[in-house]
Amino acid sequence: MSDSVENVQKKLTQLIIGSTSPREVLRSSDLKKLYGQLPKLPAGERSAYGQKINALKKNLEEAVAEREEALAQANLEPIDVTAPFDVNSPLPDLLHTQQGTIHPLNTEIARIVDIFTRMGFNAVQSRQLDDDYHMFTSLNFPENHPARDGYDTFRTSEGLVPPAHTSTMQNRILKAGKNELENGGQIAAISYGRVFRNEDVDATHEHTFHQVEGVFVSSDANMSQMLGTLRSFFETYYGQKLKTKTQPAYFPFVEPGLEFAIEKPAALGGKPGEWLEMLGCGMIHPNVLKEAGIDPAKYRGFAWGGGVERLVMLKYNIEDLRHFESGKLAFLRKFA
Amino acid sequence: MIVSVNWLKQYTKINLPVDELATLVGARLVEIEGVIDLGKKYQGIIVAKVVSVENHPNADKLHVCKVDDGGKAKGVKRDSDGLVQVVCGAPNVRKGLLVAWLPPKSTVPTSFDDDEPFVLGARELRGVISNGMLASAKELAIGDSHEGILEIDVNAKPGDDFAEAYKLNDYLLDIENKSLTHRPDCFGIIGLAREIAAITNQQFKTPDWLLDTKTNIKRTPSSASPLKVSIKAPDLSSRYQAVVLSTDRAIAETPIQIQSWLARVGIKPISPIVDVTNYLMALTGQPLHAFDYDKFTKLNGGKAEVIVRAAKKGEKLKLLDGRDVILAEEDIIIANGATPVALAGAMGGSSTAIDDNTKNILLESASFNLYNLRGTQMRHGIFTDAITRFTKGQSPEQTAPVLSQAVAMLADLTDAEVASAVVEEYPGKQKSSKIKVKAEKINQILGTNLTIEDMYETLKNAEFIVEMFCGKGKTKTDDGELDIVAPYWRADIKIPEDISEEIGRINGYDEISPSLPSRSFVATGPSDLESLQQNIRSILARAGANDILSYSFVHGNLLEAVGQKTTNSFAITNAISPKLQYYRQTLTPSLLELVHPNIKAGYGEFSLFEINKTHNKVHGKDDEGLPGELEMTALVYANKKSSKSSAFYNVRSQLDFLAKCLGLLFEYTAIDKKPDYPVTAPFDYQRSAYITEKNSGVFIGIVGEYRQQVIKNLKLPNTVAGCELGTEDILKAVNLTKGTSYRPLSKYPGTTQDITVQVKQQASFAQVWNAMYDEVLKGVELEWGLEPIGVYHPHDSRVKNMTFRIYLTDHEKTITRDAASKIVDKIGQALKKKLSAKIV
Repeated sequence: MSDSVENVQKKLTQLIIGSTSPREVLRSSDLKKLYGQLPKLPAGERSAYGQKINALKKNLEEAVAEREEALAQANLEPIDVTAPFDVNSPLPDLLHTQQGTIHPLNTEIARIVDIFTRMGFNAVQSRQLDDDYHMFTSLNFPENHPARDGYDTFRTSEGLVPPAHTSTMQNRILKAGKNELENGGQIAAISYGRVFRNEDVDATHEHTFHQVEGVFVSSDANMSQMLGTLRSFFETYYGQKLKTKTQPAYFPFVEPGLEFAIEKPAALGGKPGEWLEMLGCGMIHPNVLKEAGIDPAKYRGFAWGGGVERLVMLKYNIEDLRHFESGKLAFLRKFA
Repeated sequence: MIVSVNWLKQYTKINLPVDELATLVGARLVEIEGVIDLGKKYQGIIVAKVVSVENHPNADKLHVCKVDDGGKAKGVKRDSDGLVQVVCGAPNVRKGLLVAWLPPKSTVPTSFDDDEPFVLGARELRGVISNGMLASAKELAIGDSHEGILEIDVNAKPGDDFAEAYKLNDYLLDIENKSLTHRPDCFGIIGLAREIAAITNQQFKTPDWLLDTKTNIKRTPSSASPLKVSIKAPDLSSRYQAVVLSTDRAIAETPIQIQSWLARVGIKPISPIVDVTNYLMALTGQPLHAFDYDKFTKLNGGKAEVIVRAAKKGEKLKLLDGRDVILAEEDIIIANGATPVALAGAMGGSSTAIDDNTKNILLESASFNLYNLRGTQMRHGIFTDAITRFTKGQSPEQTAPVLSQAVAMLADLTDAEVASAVVEEYPGKQKSSKIKVKAEKINQILGTNLTIEDMYETLKNAEFIVEMFCGKGKTKTDDGELDIVAPYWRADIKIPEDISEEIGRINGYDEISPSLPSRSFVATGPSDLESLQQNIRSILARAGANDILSYSFVHGNLLEAVGQKTTNSFAITNAISPKLQYYRQTLTPSLLELVHPNIKAGYGEFSLFEINKTHNKVHGKDDEGLPGELEMTALVYANKKSSKSSAFYNVRSQLDFLAKCLGLLFEYTAIDKKPDYPVTAPFDYQRSAYITEKNSGVFIGIVGEYRQQVIKNLKLPNTVAGCELGTEDILKAVNLTKGTSYRPLSKYPGTTQDITVQVKQQASFAQVWNAMYDEVLKGVELEWGLEPIGVYHPHDSRVKNMTFRIYLTDHEKTITRDAASKIVDKIGQALKKKLSAKIV
């Protein structure tokens, strides 16, 4: 019996030393066999034998750790990277198409971008690292303004800001469209992408999420047009007529400011009287236009911004916001 | 914030059912998060008169009472006079008292929301039947006192509904006050009542005492308590008023109605002095603070010198709640001479707290810098009702009317006399806000057709001072102008857009009919980058890979695990956890981190990819002077099973598929020296390649296996490899190349021939391929194809065999075997010459 323990130790140690994946050796059938002996032994011998194989296991673990460390340090042989396949091996197949997926948030953002571009809005991606000026100051949030608190903003040690809303692009959009506006045109654009808030994560809160912001400026923009534009978008998005309602709200970069809700569409199992708050919106504050060099006496605009995750969660009945950034295949492969 | 509908009704008419009121307020002022039916708690409670009180035969402290409920309660045992027997232990129970009687089957209000509410019955107490109970203020959820039963102090008669006596058949509105941060006036009952009046189209009338901004306090001639006030920095406090009162009845009882208003909105009744300050704060939004004047002067050798100043760094103060706080320079304090006594706007100090022995009161009515107070709130975690209101920016004009009203109420309740002059400093005098706006402009902003009279009416109802004007020969509606003065409590009104908000909101934004912008309609499209990113996603998904999103912020350990320096990352100063402390420099580490958990979850072989932005300090700044954002596409392939073939080739074949779909041709070149960039850090450079797009010459990125150390650190399987590509570089290559080239199919059949060459072990595939292409195939006029079939390298051999299949098609005629062999022979010759290869 003890012979075989020593033999196994010898054999497996050799295997470990020669292996490029030494941990696999610990799953060897030899080892399992040794454990299998244990219950067959006379009671008096079991304890000594048990200690012996435990010692063996420990030795092997150490050998594996040592080998792994050596492997980690070692340089593997170079390979011929100019070849399409390895020596003595066929050309690798692609993975099965049916296991490939696109992230549902990316699919939905593409759809939103598609609708707005068909409505004539340009679409620009939002920055993921920005400065305080674009995040707040250019949007009529004076320094120390209490409304800044509502945005639970991260900061970097370099004095930069991970944007807490896609409105961080608004000043840029206004500046970029100024010439066209003054030549009789209009500014119509959305910005979309990832935003960050210092918020503890749970099933309905995330520190990282996605927003779409819209901006429209013309010589005669008004609130009625804003309500119509938003309603058109949601009607196209849900493919049905929708009722909408609003609620006064306060955001320093709009005046007046509103929250916009739609009656929950039948497609989502909605019943009359059930409302979904969708976004914040309002007439762009004259100070924000001024800051971008646009004369608020001649031009007016409206803007809105809302989250994307919510739309996707409602659409698929997703229960937990944390799935989106989890990288779990179990989640991702539901969205072929 | 909880608001009582009945309290609002003291100031304006509300005829709507409460759910309609909540919907209307929701649509025109602020979201109502919930409506609480307060009256439910008080159902069945009856006003009763104590007719007789006898000692309990078996208990010293209990009394046996007979009460008269006007015969109201049903199913209770009554004596021959119709009276009901109740046992009561309260010391203040006495004949003739009007009390709140909880008959059997009624519920004790404080226990109403408990899991097992306390429902009364007819029970024996030490051998004597008690039908229900007589309730204390605490049991009635009105006050804190349970030392005795509540003595009804308003006009009521036996048999009355108790709830009616104190207007407790009430609804409470739970208001989402986050969206009222710009409306200090709405943090008071009167302000909210004004809004409700306006949105229900009624003229509001602010009580006279609050409209009059003069200080109306008459000093008693004999009094001369010394008092000085000094504001050290005008930006800390725009106004500070104080007065001394003296009273012998500081412990008098506050009227139950006032206690009840306070209790139902969540403020605990304490004593008349404190209750009056809280009551007026709840009404107007203006907090007051009362100091014990004698304690106050004791701290400064008998003098009362109120000083408002910035705290000194490290200065200490013991607060009313017993906490010791260490102050920061941004905190504002009230000091008497050199001694700090209160944290201004936030909380009083314990050294000057009002107590039962207080005789003289120093009453403060002031306004403080809201930005400083915001800091104080966060720094010390103080969220009192006072600071919540101060941080919305209360008007300094209202300190006077509220102080005057407080003095009047305290005189009434505690016989307090004014014992000093009203001393004040008012360095930040509020200017009234005057706005002229054309009616037309309001309609233009809102997209409405309101008449100027409608607008006038709306503003008037909300107590704006308004006048209407119009040009000569015009009517008010087509050319009218409104001249508006905002009342002092509306310091938020500054520009014509603010007026459009008032008019739009009060009349209801939902009344505006939606339209669409009038414009020349031109469809646009997603940006080139967006289109490419969407395209790459669908191509890689077709190749069986999974599109993921992962956090932009990573743990420093992850950066180190792949050999990236944390100093190259932008660092979050207020990170939620160390896991989210650094901006990721590249996408690869995020993907690598996901391999092990997915394998553990049972997935054997997969590719994960992400297309996103990355940031690092190595990369330069963009034209805005901000850190350039790098658009990246990264993929990781992993297989739980070990394989003889390097995973490099799996990734390469996925990349070749991507390139083919995009009309590109990727060329892979060996890396001869260990590179030092964030993007190359995880890769084993000897088993990795740089990728260049062959036709455009654009550099695309890196593909390869990861360093063994990285594999160990992140518990990766041995079969793992990946790539990280510049998405904008791919875009550049796509824009520079023509895309997929197509040549019409030949009418004639083609032919294939295989060729196997033996080359030295160290000869690379590219050398062989290039020799075949450069020397022969480039010059062949026929349509040709070259497909690698395999590389055979026996163990320990110094040579290896490579096999290729050559496709040849002639578009003019059927190609002959000879013609094909000629070309293949030529290739053989070229390989012999260039690489000393042997044709096998």
